[in-house]
Amino acid sequence: MKEEHTGFTLILPTLIFMGLFTVFPLFEGIRVSFTDKHILKQAVHFTGLKNYHRLLSDNLFWLSLFHSIIITASAVALQFVLGLLLAWALKQDLPGIKLFRSIIMATWVIPVVATVVMFQFMAQAGYGFINMFLKLIGLGRFDIYWFGNKNAALPLIILLHLWRNIPFYGVAFLAAMQAIPQSYYEAAQIDGAGPWKSFIHVTLPGIRNMVIVMVTIHVLWTFNNFEFVFLATGGGPVNATYILPLYVYRQCWRSYTVGYGASIGTVMLVVLMIYFIIYIRIHERQAR
Amino acid sequence: MITSKKRKVLKSFAVYFIVLVSLFFFISPMLWIAYSSFRERDAIFSEEFLTPLREFTLENYKTILSVTDFPLYFFNSFKIAFFVTCVSLLFSVIGAYGLSRYRLRGKNLYIMGIFSTQMFPLVLIIIPIYLIIFKMGLLDTTLGVVLSQLILVLPFSVWMLKGYFDNLPADLDEAARIDGCNIFQTLGYVILPVSIPGIMVAAFYCFVVSWGDYLVISIVNQSQNTATLPLILQRLSASLLIRWGQVAAATVLTIVPTIILFSFVQRFLVEGLTAGAVKGE
Repeated sequence: MKEEHTGFTLILPTLIFMGLFTVFPLFEGIRVSFTDKHILKQAVHFTGLKNYHRLLSDNLFWLSLFHSIIITASAVALQFVLGLLLAWALKQDLPGIKLFRSIIMATWVIPVVATVVMFQFMAQAGYGFINMFLKLIGLGRFDIYWFGNKNAALPLIILLHLWRNIPFYGVAFLAAMQAIPQSYYEAAQIDGAGPWKSFIHVTLPGIRNMVIVMVTIHVLWTFNNFEFVFLATGGGPVNATYILPLYVYRQCWRSYTVGYGASIGTVMLVVLMIYFIIYIRIHERQAR
Repeated sequence: MITSKKRKVLKSFAVYFIVLVSLFFFISPMLWIAYSSFRERDAIFSEEFLTPLREFTLENYKTILSVTDFPLYFFNSFKIAFFVTCVSLLFSVIGAYGLSRYRLRGKNLYIMGIFSTQMFPLVLIIIPIYLIIFKMGLLDTTLGVVLSQLILVLPFSVWMLKGYFDNLPADLDEAARIDGCNIFQTLGYVILPVSIPGIMVAAFYCFVVSWGDYLVISIVNQSQNTATLPLILQRLSASLLIRWGQVAAATVLTIVPTIILFSFVQRFLVEGLTAGAVKGE
């Protein structure tokens, strides 16, 4: 009993802080989504489901939701596959690989703003690295500012997510692969399994836990990520990269219609909760 | 029939192909901006890859450091990231130790609860946080920024350190307690010394997240008092008459501290970051 008391005391400061600065703001945010709160107006009225009703016929909301899901799904799926490939390369005992392993995660540690500036600089028409490179290989006729192109902007946003996170996946999967006992591979080999079969039956189950954690946190981070889009394209050109977090931010801090913004934010939470429920269902079925 | 030797050569070839493509994709953007920061304006706009050696210049750095308030922003960034790291470590070391070592009713609920806050959309909770900070009179103060940035790092930091402590043998604590150490002595003399890699990683994580944060600072910042590097970098790169040489120099100066810290923790980084994933049930 005394033990329990001490343990609770130790975690209490964190719980109090999280309660005050995370859980309370969440409930407050949800509450505000049922009002017409406006930053510049004193009076706040309870408006029931009016904000949510308005969302149903708001085309920009549906477009943002669509983009958010597309970006999250394709970024996480590509990160997973390419991360596995990178981990495979990193695992090999060849000259130079150790050095490569040690520098590759640098993309993950530098500020997002810096990443965006780097890519904006490279995407400039004419003197940008990408266009100079295209010219070099004879594709100079495609010389444009890539973030300003309606068709290229969204794939570029996904590319930014890939650039930042693939090395993290690669190195994390590598760590999990190294924890698999060599004897498992030997046993598989004795049973006549080739490289592909041992990958499916030994490697993948061995790194399962890591895959679950990496995919889960990246679904959350990517879906909630506001900075890449805000800084790189601002949602443009012509709303081609508008996403939900950006829409919330604009409603709250540009139009000052906090109530409506909060309702969009609440929808984001609901989407992630639906993802969670589906995910846990599948997880449980597999465990059975 | 493919001989095993041929297969080995083929495999090495595939590995180095992946390495080369990765180096080009992941590393060249950083090298390109660093390279460009030493080029003159005309060279940057020349649409040529190479600059004659004698035409490299430090002018971009001199301008950014003397004409703008860049040094002030750099200092602000450092101060804020430093305090965020200290406070977060204080909370999370103690909290993670409690979660890792003590029997607690509903322990998994706490862990799940702390972790699931990662699901909360930051753009939603930042609205009430802004109002709280405003009512506390802490808008545009270092303390206000530190408090609001803590929510970015604290959950992950606790989760990470709990995973790390879980991997340490429980005998350590037992031995310390038998020797008559209280909790804080056990933590300070026994646990912390053997957890330095994990704590370094947690500290590194807190520091770089605070250093790179744009969303939170863009809302709680009002003036030069608390403006950080991401804000000035965004402003510089969004201005109409963009001076790429100076933007490149500013970008490099923003990146360099994170890379220096990264080089110190690089060896432990993944092990630490994913400690909770290996044994975090």
